[in-house]
Amino acid sequence: MNVGRADTDGPRAVVLLEALGLAKSYGPVAAVQGVDFRLPVNAYVTLLGPSGCGKTSILRMIGGFETPSAGSLRLDGADLAGVGPAERPVNTVFQSYALFPHMTVADNVAFGLEVKGRDRNETKIRTARALALVRMTDMADRRPNQLSGGQQQRVALARAIVNEPRLLLLDEPLSALDRRMRKDMQIELKDLQRRLGLTFVHVTHDQEEAFALSDHLIVMNAGRIEQQGTPEEIYRRPATTFVADFIGGANLFPGQILATSDGAATIATAFGPVTAASVSGLSVGSTAALCLRPELLTPQPDGPILSTVRHVVFQGADWLVEVEAAERTVTLRLESERGPEPGERLAIGFDAASAWITAGTIATEAGHGVRG
Amino acid sequence: MAFAADRGVRLAAPVALVLVAGCVVPLAVLFVYSFFKVDFVAIVHDPTVKNYVRVAASATYRGLIGRAILSGAIVAVISAVIAYPVAWAIAKRVYLLKSAYLTLLLIPLYTGDLVRIFAWRVVLGSEGVINSFLMWTGIVHEPIRALLFSPFATHVVLTYDYLPFMVMGLWLAFESLDDRLLEAARDLGAGEVTIFRRIVLPLTAPGLIAGAMMVFVLVVGDYLTPQLIGGSSGITVISAINDLFGTAFDWPLGSAIASSLLIILGLLVTLAALVVARSTWGRSVVSGE
Repeated sequence: MNVGRADTDGPRAVVLLEALGLAKSYGPVAAVQGVDFRLPVNAYVTLLGPSGCGKTSILRMIGGFETPSAGSLRLDGADLAGVGPAERPVNTVFQSYALFPHMTVADNVAFGLEVKGRDRNETKIRTARALALVRMTDMADRRPNQLSGGQQQRVALARAIVNEPRLLLLDEPLSALDRRMRKDMQIELKDLQRRLGLTFVHVTHDQEEAFALSDHLIVMNAGRIEQQGTPEEIYRRPATTFVADFIGGANLFPGQILATSDGAATIATAFGPVTAASVSGLSVGSTAALCLRPELLTPQPDGPILSTVRHVVFQGADWLVEVEAAERTVTLRLESERGPEPGERLAIGFDAASAWITAGTIATEAGHGVRG
Repeated sequence: MAFAADRGVRLAAPVALVLVAGCVVPLAVLFVYSFFKVDFVAIVHDPTVKNYVRVAASATYRGLIGRAILSGAIVAVISAVIAYPVAWAIAKRVYLLKSAYLTLLLIPLYTGDLVRIFAWRVVLGSEGVINSFLMWTGIVHEPIRALLFSPFATHVVLTYDYLPFMVMGLWLAFESLDDRLLEAARDLGAGEVTIFRRIVLPLTAPGLIAGAMMVFVLVVGDYLTPQLIGGSSGITVISAINDLFGTAFDWPLGSAIASSLLIILGLLVTLAALVVARSTWGRSVVSGE
């Protein structure tokens, strides 16, 4: 289900990497089932999806560590088939950092230049520059086991960017760091990408991280691309119920499409027909879902959704309220002085202008997770 | 802390006692004997360094000690070359039945020296498996006698005998080698030779050193293999010591040769340890991951 493909980037974006029908199977298991995408130059791209969705396989195919079962990858227009990882102008920051334990920080960073036979002086200067870029100059003579996780992360970054690759791959680079360090590193990564003008491809399962970093976001599920575009597009106009649920945990109300018009549709929900903006390609009679973000729902005396309050969580800036309505669990974010009481009856309304109708059925009880 | 250290000492005491009684004391006795001399059939307890002078002055004894050390080094190097791919394969490519492979590797060690040696005589002998095959194919018309009873044969069998020790050492080192490091090196543009030299070799060095040490010491001390496989080349420093203690009844000279060998081996091992400790990768290897 490839809705909102890379062409949303507009024609001005110069294509750096192009995947066509890229697939990877491990025996009978299809990890990646034929995906297409185009990555522009100088962009922060995130591959987002739950674990096992194939995002890491894609990264490893770009890096040259796995051979695609089908399809092709083109970097700067040249096919990468048969080009080994050592020959690709692509470098990777590994999830575990994979720093060489028997070398100092400086030797780790210089490794790529040394094996390519750069002269000593150049290697020294570029190593020093890369270390300065990640603020690790003072640690040049330390060994990896003498560094904290965040510092190891920086060394891994320096070791990759010192080679001036066309593309930098990051495999869940922040997953081993604590929350605070993760936030700091997110800002640093984004800043580094802008300063270097490189394209970063970052694999993560954390949608908050993906939003914080990405210019271009690719959401994956079960080996396929569900949607790609800017974070705003994906948040506001999710193409599928999976994306709507995975990104920010939207409340989804299933129903049949009653009518469609240009960019909008009418859906029959459990609380009556609603007309709202919709994904294209919906046909009358098909099953779809009304997508209402928690922050768009408000208590209104004449609101159409009749509910019973189940849980109320104070979150500082707002209240996270879980209610039961139309036999589903619905989440609201309320910015009021006082939160409602559990057991209270609540009529909920919404502005149809901010609602969205997305394609697909709801397999599990979507909208249940109190996320983000 | 003081209490814990104290308890550690007490727990280690029995082992230390056994080591002293079973190893240090006999060696000390041997060492003391090396300063005595023989008068016909009696040992004269009259300290002298004449035995050491005789060892140092004799080209035969110097040659035997030198050859033993050279053999140890050669077999250690050959088994390292063979063991690297084997250890790598068992550690990284065998998923099922890993312990079965390791047991298979050790089976020759279960059979005992003599059985192995005579098995090799069957293989290498002039009417043995290899010669019969070569004669049958017509490559040679007369059996190659040098296959058995030669330094070549001795080294083949010694390598076969002690290879498992090297494989074991390297296998353990490969088990703790993170494959992602090799991927990272490849990603940074390193070829396979560079990866072996700069990543695999330094990181498996502890296993290599342990394996090489075992093979080296065992080869230097091996007595049966050169005797039964080496033919006229089978005289080794160990057989010389044996002759001096047995037939010649010159315990002091035998002790002096044994002590010299021990001291030289000790010096070589210390030297090797120092070289490793001084090198950058050696320090990182010793200081842990």
